[in-house]
Amino acid sequence: MSALLTLAWRSSWSRRATLSLVLLSVALSTFLLLGFEQVRTDVRENFSQSVSGTDLVVGARTGSVQLMLYAAFHVGSATNNIRMDSLAAIAQHRAVDWVVPLSLGDSHHGFAVLGTTSDYFNRFLYGDREPLVLAQGRAFTNGIDGLYGAVLGAEVAHARRYRLGDKLTLTHGSGGLPGSEHADKPFTVVGILARTGTPVDRTVHISLESLEAIHIDWVGGAPLPGVVIAPEQARKFDLAPKQVTAALVGLKGRAAVFNVQRFVSGYAGEPLMAVLPGVALDELWDVVGLGEKALLGMSAMVGVVSLAGLIAVVMAGLNERRRELAVLRAEGAGPRHVLLLLAGEGLMVTLAGALLGALATGLFIATSAPWVQAHHGVNLKLSVPSETQWMLLAAVVLAGGVASLIPAWRAYRLSLADGLSPRV
Amino acid sequence: MIEVRDLRFAWPGAASDCVVIDALSIPAGRTVFLHGPSGGGKSTLLGLLAGVLLPRVGSVSLLGTRWADLSGARRDAFRADHVGYIFQQFNLLPYLSAVDNVLLPCRFSRLRRERAAQDGGSPGHAARELLERVGLSQALWTRAAAQLSVGQQQRVAAARALIGRPEVVIADEPTSALDALLRDSFMDLLLDACHASRGTLVFVSHDERLAARFDERLSLSAVNRTASSMQAEDSL
Amino acid sequence: MKNGSWVWGVAAATGLRAVATMVGVLLLGAAGSSWAQDGGAGAAGSPSLSRPLGGSGASKAAAPGTFREIKWDDLVPQDWDPLKQFKSTNFSVMNDSDPRATEMLKRMRETWDNAPTNNEMDGVAVRIPGYLVPLEDNKSGLKEFLLVPYFGACIHSPPPPANQIIHVKPQKPPKGFHSMDTVWVSGTLKTLRSDSYMGSSGYRMDAVSVEAYVEK
Repeated sequence: MSALLTLAWRSSWSRRATLSLVLLSVALSTFLLLGFEQVRTDVRENFSQSVSGTDLVVGARTGSVQLMLYAAFHVGSATNNIRMDSLAAIAQHRAVDWVVPLSLGDSHHGFAVLGTTSDYFNRFLYGDREPLVLAQGRAFTNGIDGLYGAVLGAEVAHARRYRLGDKLTLTHGSGGLPGSEHADKPFTVVGILARTGTPVDRTVHISLESLEAIHIDWVGGAPLPGVVIAPEQARKFDLAPKQVTAALVGLKGRAAVFNVQRFVSGYAGEPLMAVLPGVALDELWDVVGLGEKALLGMSAMVGVVSLAGLIAVVMAGLNERRRELAVLRAEGAGPRHVLLLLAGEGLMVTLAGALLGALATGLFIATSAPWVQAHHGVNLKLSVPSETQWMLLAAVVLAGGVASLIPAWRAYRLSLADGLSPRV
Repeated sequence: MIEVRDLRFAWPGAASDCVVIDALSIPAGRTVFLHGPSGGGKSTLLGLLAGVLLPRVGSVSLLGTRWADLSGARRDAFRADHVGYIFQQFNLLPYLSAVDNVLLPCRFSRLRRERAAQDGGSPGHAARELLERVGLSQALWTRAAAQLSVGQQQRVAAARALIGRPEVVIADEPTSALDALLRDSFMDLLLDACHASRGTLVFVSHDERLAARFDERLSLSAVNRTASSMQAEDSL
Repeated sequence: MKNGSWVWGVAAATGLRAVATMVGVLLLGAAGSSWAQDGGAGAAGSPSLSRPLGGSGASKAAAPGTFREIKWDDLVPQDWDPLKQFKSTNFSVMNDSDPRATEMLKRMRETWDNAPTNNEMDGVAVRIPGYLVPLEDNKSGLKEFLLVPYFGACIHSPPPPANQIIHVKPQKPPKGFHSMDTVWVSGTLKTLRSDSYMGSSGYRMDAVSVEAYVEK
């Protein structure tokens, strides 16, 4: 058997020019399968790490996935605002422990701006119930004292090279047009959060009052013409927020979640909804899952095509090899040795291609991870292949072995028929 | 050594037998020249003698064992152990070096590997000794077989057929692709080696001029009744 | 009063669907051992509101040291009669928009919120099937979830009463479970006597195992 393996290896190596294309296509297919699986699981992990310890997310009535996306991941936008007095009513429910309001809409150089209370920094958990940690400085305080103070996520501070005490201005909405800047009311960096690997890193946190202050002379998305209110003057106004985008809700006992959810849905004051983060995420994966299956199918198709190429190349070369097979027969190899030899060749090519593809995946992840982290906030991890990835690798190699049996069988028949005198 | 009795063989789908031999006996240690025109069923007969083909009727036995008594796998193993084979051309695996080609039988037969080790200390050593004996220059030993000339390839083939001292060497027109000079030197080394190891040599060729150096000379048309009948038709 | 099917019929006829649902489920739970021992409706089939997972009827006793397979109505104390307050109500004269119907609904909800736990189940090692509602699911696995008796407990139908929800913390967080998956959960039940948020609290369990539910 080892004799055959050595022969198979030497034979394949001598034909490497022809087989290299096949090898590359097997490598590509493996790269697609493994790489896609890695990205898929890392993205899922990222999302599921983003919120923890929150029992319900409350917002205007919309889709549960949409609500989660903008409230927890700051992606997309709300259909409507909700009123602060509704939140007050929710906070009154005997099962509710805390409510943290969230207000979204502004941005800063592509990073989301989140208006919230200082309670956010105590209540918000991520990953495995891990709290937010201030790497530098402190959180802003509520009310007038905390006006114009900003707490930056780790990525914001890193990308824009901010330090404590730096000044920054916010932009209305997420557009980049001049004139939508709140240039007259600059903010000061009072705190910088430690890295979390969640959307928190890419967010600028300010108090709700600050958010009111910068919009005090704006109406409907544009500054009021001729109206200029200086930052210090704004303090004298009533800056208590009336409306917010969403809220995080924590309960005294987690089993009460259905009751509070029902209470929020049935609230007479305005149309609201409350979602369980875990359930909403599962719904998101259901939707995304369809696309994932399609991509997986496509990667598998590439694999099938590459193996078809392998079969074709080996088959095409069989005719010239008939004398070679006769030599082997004369030396004591039987038709089944010939079959094993050919199958072994195909298996080796597949194995080499799969390994090359796996290496390419690792290389790709290692080089692209920083860029992906900076631009999309997703943390791609370079690690030992997961169980699923091992199975994908095994599937590729197995499929290659099985596919190789086709030309191997043909060689078997030829060898049987030719004996020692191939009619070439 | 080789015994043939009541042999009948036909290719699948053929109307009539192409090999019909009532009796043929080749004793051990004999060098036999089997003469026959091209296409007279020589290769088929050699395939039967080497156990690659099985007769329809009758028996072919080697060293007292009938080929048909062995299963396919055992036949291949038996052939590896006791038969060295030389083709007319394309004897070598092009992707192996000369040395590795000579060692090929040792991969498939433990018996020959052990004998080669006895002869030369190790199979590799025995292979190199044989290559020297057949006159292949050392520089070429590790060259891939595809890079050797025809004459060089045939000599390597002879070395391969001889390694591990198989009891029988079967040569199917090994000199037809060589010029006169190369042919003579090839014949010398082959016959010398077979005499030295006291092995049996069955040498098939259409070139009668080579017959003189052999112990025994047979005519295929005399041995194979089908061939003789064909020859009889031709001469009519 | 154990046989309340007339309530079901009347309630449905008058269109008080929500009330009918709640009452129906309560009756199912409260009926207990008067139903067939082997859970007449079969072990599973397609679970619907009228047939919580695991069927109904009394649970089987188990050998000591193993988990006792229980059903959801075992979590309800035998002496709990939530329909006591409605004995005098005449359903047939009400319709959906009647303020008395809304009031009744509210009272029903409160009754359910205050549903007491069955203290006999405290500390019992049990095995129970249910639907999974994830609470904490991250890369190390599903760390906390709620187990409820029927499908769609969070959206379509009235939420289960307090004694029909189990707050489960698996000892070894499993992976690969999805919202509303059907599972068998084994572990020791703990009842919580706290008046903080729901009048009477519900059940907790540190689950030893969480397995996918396979129909027998």
